[in-house]
Parts: sequence; structure tokens; C-alpha cells
Amino acid sequence: VEWNASLWGSRRAFTEHVEKLAELVAEKSGGEFTINVSYGGLSKNTENLDGISIGAFEMAQFCAGYHRDKNPSITVLELPFLGVSTLEEEVAVSHAVYAHPAVAADLGRWNAKLLMTSPMPQYNIVGTGEPRDELAEFDGMRVRATGGLGQAFSAVGAVPTSVTATEAYQAMESGVVDTVSFAQHAHLSFRTIDEADWWTENLNPGTVNCPVVVNTDAYAALSDEHRAILDESVPEAIDYYLENYGALLDRWEEVLAEKGVEKVTISEDQLAEFRKIAADPIRETWIADMSAQGLPAQELYDLVMDTLEQTRAGN
Amino acid sequence: MANSGAVREDGSFLSRLDRDLARLERVFALVSGLAVFSIMLFAVVSVTGRNLLNRPVPGYVDWIEQLMPFIAILGIAYAQRDGTHIRMDLVVGRLKGRALWAAEILGVLAMLALMILLVWGTWAHFQRSFDFAAPLWSRDSTIDIALPLWPAKLIVPMAFSVMVLRLLIQLAGYSRAFILGLAAPVAVPLIRSAAQVAAEEAEALNAKGG
Amino acid sequence: MTSVEIGLWVSGFMVLLVVIGMRVAFAAGLAGLIGLIWIFWSKRGYDPEMFGWALGVAVKTAGQVPHGKVANQALSLIPTFILIGYLAYYAGLTKALFEAAKRWLGWLPGGLAVSTVFATAGFAAVSGASVATAAVFARIAIPEMLKAGYDKRFAAGVVAAGGTLASLIPPSAILVIYAIIVEQDVGKLLLAGFIPGLFSAVVYGSLIVGLAVLFKRVGPPVRGFTWGQRFAALPPALPIVAVVLIIIGFVYNPFGEDAWGTPTEGGAIGAFIVFCWAVAHGMRWPELKSALLETAKLSVMIFTIIWGVLIYVRFLGFADLPGAFSDWITGLDQPPMLTLIFILLAYAVLGMFMDAIGMLLLTLPVVYPAVMALNGGDFVSAEESAFGMSGPMCAVWFGILVVKMAEFCLITPPIGLNCFVVAGVRDDLSVQDVFRGVTPFFIADAVTIALLVAFPAIVLWLPSLA
Ligand code: NA
Ligand code: NA
Repeated sequence: VEWNASLWGSRRAFTEHVEKLAELVAEKSGGEFTINVSYGGLSKNTENLDGISIGAFEMAQFCAGYHRDKNPSITVLELPFLGVSTLEEEVAVSHAVYAHPAVAADLGRWNAKLLMTSPMPQYNIVGTGEPRDELAEFDGMRVRATGGLGQAFSAVGAVPTSVTATEAYQAMESGVVDTVSFAQHAHLSFRTIDEADWWTENLNPGTVNCPVVVNTDAYAALSDEHRAILDESVPEAIDYYLENYGALLDRWEEVLAEKGVEKVTISEDQLAEFRKIAADPIRETWIADMSAQGLPAQELYDLVMDTLEQTRAGN
Repeated sequence: MANSGAVREDGSFLSRLDRDLARLERVFALVSGLAVFSIMLFAVVSVTGRNLLNRPVPGYVDWIEQLMPFIAILGIAYAQRDGTHIRMDLVVGRLKGRALWAAEILGVLAMLALMILLVWGTWAHFQRSFDFAAPLWSRDSTIDIALPLWPAKLIVPMAFSVMVLRLLIQLAGYSRAFILGLAAPVAVPLIRSAAQVAAEEAEALNAKGG
Repeated sequence: MTSVEIGLWVSGFMVLLVVIGMRVAFAAGLAGLIGLIWIFWSKRGYDPEMFGWALGVAVKTAGQVPHGKVANQALSLIPTFILIGYLAYYAGLTKALFEAAKRWLGWLPGGLAVSTVFATAGFAAVSGASVATAAVFARIAIPEMLKAGYDKRFAAGVVAAGGTLASLIPPSAILVIYAIIVEQDVGKLLLAGFIPGLFSAVVYGSLIVGLAVLFKRVGPPVRGFTWGQRFAALPPALPIVAVVLIIIGFVYNPFGEDAWGTPTEGGAIGAFIVFCWAVAHGMRWPELKSALLETAKLSVMIFTIIWGVLIYVRFLGFADLPGAFSDWITGLDQPPMLTLIFILLAYAVLGMFMDAIGMLLLTLPVVYPAVMALNGGDFVSAEESAFGMSGPMCAVWFGILVVKMAEFCLITPPIGLNCFVVAGVRDDLSVQDVFRGVTPFFIADAVTIALLVAFPAIVLWLPSLA
């Protein structure tokens, strides 16, 4: 059996679990089941779900925020200030949500089955000039942030600006934006860290959720043996991803020191204020909108919160 | 290479069909031109808004992306009518009479096959983004301000259907020329040498006061 | 049959369709669609019952491409650049430029020809298309050169060659297309075209001065303009300066402060300035309407090639042909520079027969990854690379090289579009005359390309600042 997996960009920390999965599956099946990972050759990143739905390829990665209307249920994971603070917690809440029947049905309309997540750390911001560590300083700040994060920033008076990830460095350098909100690996690979004077250590405004899915028919057509191999390789692939990303976060600290980027800490009451202004209304609107579409929105949000609590209790 | 040519007209039924469709194509092309113009105005608004008022147009990129299919796709049949879509005429340019019409018939048939299949494929693409049950009928939206994508996706099969009609008219025109052995049939672009094309282009530019 | 073999057969089929005269966009789209059907059907072991499934998947996969690929903000530069070109005619910018160049540079040996080259370079700053530039200047510059006693073939050659500058000096539609295919920063590429464009103009100018000293057929200098007359010629050409400054300012602010916006915005603002100027010079709705229709027609022609070719590229992705070609190129047992030179020579041969945009779109998806791999990969550092430049810089350098090759092909026989256009404008010139007249520039271009290959800094200095 030969599967194609549609990813985009190039091989990076964000794609290591898929690479690892391909390696594990080939190894365990003695080369009978292989997964070819393609970076952008098979589809455009915002159309990976379309490709899965058509059956053009068997596996794909995408981000929920690329197209809210395609996957309303999993946008719960992109709400601002959920309080997720480690990658392990991110994995736990994502996989709990993926297992919910309403979510499976939502993605089922695309002939897609959620396989695993691509955990991303919080989208803290880098900026130029004087550090902004108080909410009042966010007023009028031009920030590159998309989706729910953009909404959160605009709630405190910041101006979210449309810039693609690849244009972010240039936009920052030229002053089109003052700050850029990314995960660490993206600050490194899109070089926004090279322009930065400071980085918010604990703003933790939220993140994006990027699942890996498989085509339901292709999954069903696997032999029992191959399906078992695929399923049991997922936790191993995720472990590998976490280990690899952990190493990247260590390097992040070195890069900050090397480039003399200041770590900005925001006080607890400022954060509480931000949550009150941004997180609560956005969450309430989200729950109202999604309930109107017939999704168990409150239930999904509670699931996230409960899982988060359990994960923390378990540690 | 580019051999856009004047299309001959007369009182025949085929020529009337050709002109009726041409009117529709012209409207589509004008909408497409106005979309280009609005991109220009939009940038002016966006840049002044951002630099003078610190208030960028929300979702500027999303709006531009919505306009692009109008510019890129809507005029496809307008350009096909006079043969603007480029080709290498090293071989075709040497053919005359029935041999030429036979070659043109084959070319149009191949294009027709492609366009009919693409009407199907692009319609399916539209359908996946459209859902009567969803808010704004939207099943797919832009990244920044979540504009529904279905209207821009619907443009494509619409424009391609007009292209199919245009190709059918050209197929009829070339077939008629082949059967009757005509030298200068109606409703199809007539091949001219590159020099003729260039002369007419320059003439047109000059008339505009270049 | 392996997927790479399918890729090769389908590519051969596409070339055949193009050569026998099928319109390029549709030949590429049809070949891509057939290739997709073949690939999907082969995955099901050519089971006759599965043909319908393979057809459906292929058609739906191809059906994603037209909307999916054109709904791209960076591509909006193409229609805006085309619109600028049309509006510039109404604004009377071409005549103003030639007049200014004549008064300032006419005193040089071969002065009118030198003026023509620099006026085309100036016009290039508002025009994104080479052929249109050649057509306009054939009307304006050739009569003046003939009056001054120039050989008519040489005069025609000057205009045909000068026209090619439009695609290097920004704005340039073809550089935008390159940036889209290879997914590189549009602003950097546009900026990178500036110096090689001016460099080409200087090489042309020096060549003319040299020829003027050696041969009589190059006309005499034009003297006698006062400084007052010289300065008086500048204001009508001002919008060009404004557009140039704005486009630079939007990509890289020369005053060292914040840039004003993205390149796509810069192009649109440039168009707006030329639009205002054209309105001030009497353009009204009927003229605007025909400019919009012409823009729409030319845009849809280019975009149809783009999505047609991208259907073929999507098929190549499934066939993994680019990967295989790249492995083959990097596995060759010869210096990478020699391989690069062979690639450029292949472009020279291909360009004799093909349109520039079509040529780039058809070849880059396979050739570009191979060249990047040859240099050592997308993210290689300058020290570890084969050509002595980082991955992103190699993308810029190769882009300028292939665009210069494509421009070179506009003046080489048998299909040199610029030469056709010039001959078409002038009843007294045959295509052969223009090809003969353009021969010296042909050599100048070969020298320019060799210098750009030998000294990449000419290309990379400006973008490395930004
Ligand atoms: Na130009
Ligand atoms: Na040529």
C-alpha cells in the first residue's frame, strides 16, 4: 500500500511527526505500507481538506484557522486565552476534542478522520522598540495576528494587519507592523526574531490548531494489520515531535540571549484584565454562533477545560 | 505567437449567435477590467488608511483574493473569440484551406474536451464550499475575516461555461469552412502573420495618442 | 510504468501539442488532466471498473487549480502593471520621455540611439511588458533616427533591443510570475531587476557609442539644446519618477525609515498616479473603458496560461518528476557551474521558438528545484553553497538570469517577438531587416548574461540591502 501525504512549505519541526510516522509505518510493515510526504506538490495548504474529500491523497495536514467555515468544531482549540501552557497539554486537549462525536461528524463531511494534532506553543509576540508590557501600550499597535488571536488583540485596541507568514519579516522591518504573533519555530524560520527587540514570555494569547487527517475510505481499506500499525505509531510519532520541539525551544533560549532580545513579562493583573476584555466576549460569541449552527459548543468548550484540568492534575 | 484576429461578421445565423455571445463576453470582460481598477482604488484606501489614520482596511488581503478570480477567469471567452490566447503558429501558420480548417477543428475539439471536464471539476470545487444549511451558505471561508468563498468559486464554472459556448460556435464556424471550402469564414479568428498583428497593435496604440 | 515515466510521456505529449499549435494554456491543462487520470488509474492497477473513479478524482483535482491558484494577492500585481502600461499611453508619457532623453543625451556619438535606449529604460519603469514598449517606441523613435541619417536596420534594432528592458526594470509582469512559481518574495525580485536592467541599458548605450565612433551608419550627435530646454523637458516625464520612487519606497524605503507598504500596494498606487495624470491629460470614460477591456484581455490571457500550466504542475507533483530531475541534475559528475551554463543555453535554444511567459511557466517547476539543489538546497548558507550565495539569494539570482534569457529570446530569430513588432509597425522594414539590425545587441546581451553569471553581486547587491 502506498499513501500520499500532502503537507506544505518544507520539512521542519512542525512536520516531524508526519515524517516519523512514515518512517515507523514503513519499518513495522516491512516496507509493505509506505507514506510519501509531499511538501506542496499535491495541493495548496488551504485546500488540503478538499483533496482529502476528493480522494486525491490519503493523508494531509491543515490548520483550523485557514478556513473556519470548513471545520467550525475544532476552532474551539483556537479560542484566545484557553490557558494551555505546554505542548503536552496542547496534545491532550486536541486529542480529546478530536475524539468527540460532533467533531468527527464535522470532519466526516470532508471524508476525513482526525488522526493526530501538530501541537504548537502559544503565539507570543515579538516587537521592535520599547517593550509593551501593559495593556494600554497595545492601543494602536499594528500586530500581525490572524483569526481569534487577531480578534483578541483588536479587543484591547491593537490593529491586526493582514500579512502572510512569508511577508511577516519584511512587514516588520519596514514598519508595516510593529509586532508579529507566531510560535517559536516560525519566529525562527520566518526570521522575525532577527528584527525583534523583545518577546513576550507569558502573554500566551492562544495558538492555532493544525490536525493531521486521513481519508476515511483509504483508512477503511487498509488491512487490519496495516491499520493497527498506523494507529499504534501515532503516540510514538507525537513523542518524537515533542522531543524534537523541546530541543528547538532550548535553542530558542540561546537565540534570545545571542541576539540580545529582551524577555518581557506581563503582570498577572494585566493578564487578567486582557482575559476579561478579550477572552470572555470572544468565547461567548463563539459559543452562541456555533450553537446556532447546531454544534454542542458549550460541551466542546467544557471538554477542553476539563481535559486541561485533568492533565494538570495527572502531572 | 499571439495571433488575435478580427472576426468576420455577416447576416447568417452563426454570425448572429457569435455576436450575441460576444456581447455577453464583453460585459464579463468589462467587469474584469473594473475589478482591476477597484484593486487600484482599494490599495489607495488601504495605504492612506494605514499610514494616515492608523486604520488599515480589515481583511485587505482577503478582499483582493476575492477579486482575483474575476480578473483572471471571467474574460476567458472574450480573449478566445479573437484568438488572443497564445500559441505557436510555426506549423498551423503554414497550413491553408481545408488542411488549416481541419487542424483548427482538432484544436477546438481538444480545448472543448478540457473545458467541459473543467466545468465539472470547478463546479465540484464550488459545491464543496457551498451549503444551504450554513450561515451565509458558506462551507469555506478566507483566513482573516472569514469571507465566504463560494461566490468567487462560482465565477469559474460560470466563465468556463461561456467558454464552452464560444468553442461550440468556433467549432461550427471551422466545420462550415471545412465543408464549404471557405477562405474567410465568419465567427472564427482568422490567422494573420505576426507582422500584421504587430501593425494593428501599434495602430491601436497610436490611435490612443501614445 | 513508474510515475516518473508517466511524467515523461505526458510532458512529451504536452510539448507535441504546443508545437503543433494548440494554444499553450490549454495544451498544458489538457496534458496535466490526462496525466492525473493516468496516475490515479495506475494506482488502481488500470482496473477498467476504476476508470470512472480515476477520471472523477483527476477532474476534481484539476478543478481546484483555476480558483485556488489565481486567488492570490501577489498575483494582483500582474493586472495592475498591465493597467499602468495602458494608462501611460493616455498620459503622453512615452513622447515626453523620448524628448527628455534626446535633449539630455543627444550630444553623445549615436546620440539619438542612446536616447532611445534610455527612454525605453525610463518607460520600463511604468511598463511591465516588453512587446508593448517596443511597439510604442517604433512609432516615436525610428522616424527621428531616420531623419538624422541612421541606417534603418540599425534604428529598428535599437528599438527592438530597448524594448526588452521593460521586463527587468520593475514593474515587470514576468518577474512576478517567476516569484509566484518559485514561491519567493516578489519585492526582492522586483528590486533585484533594477541594477541588471540599468546595467543592460548601459551596455547597450556603450555599444552604440562605440559603433558610432567606428561606423558612419550610426547617426551623428544631436547638439544645440540649451540647459533651459533640457530642464523644460523634465516636468512632463515627472510621473515616471514618481512611480519609480513609489515602487522603491514600497519595497525598500531609501530614506531609511518605515516603508510605505507592500509591493502589491506600491504597484497599485503607481497605477493610480498614472491614472490621475492621464485624466489630467484628457482621458475620459471611453478611453478608460477601452484601457480596462485591453487590460482584462491581456490579464486573462496570462492567467489562463498560469492556471493551465499549474494543472500540469499539479500532475508533476503526483508524478514526482521535479524530484527525479533534481536528483539527476545534482548527480551529474561535473562542476555545478557548468551544469548551470548548460541550463541557460537550453533556455536560449527553447526561447528561439517559444513565448517568454509560456517558456518560464512550462520549465521552471522542473528546472528551478534542480538549480536550487545544485546550489546546495533552499536554505543553504553562502559558505556551503556551490555558487557562493545563500538559498534565497540563489532564487533571486537565477530568476534574473532566466528573465534576462527570456528577454534575449525576444530579439533572437526565428521567433523574436520584439523584432516582429517593430517590423510590423514600419512598412519599410522586413523582419529580416530588424533581425540584422539587432545583431550587435544580441552580442551585447550575451556579454551581459556572462557578466551576471560571473559577478552575481550585480544582481544581489540591492536586494541584499533590503
Ligand atoms: Na518594467
Ligand atoms: Na526568439
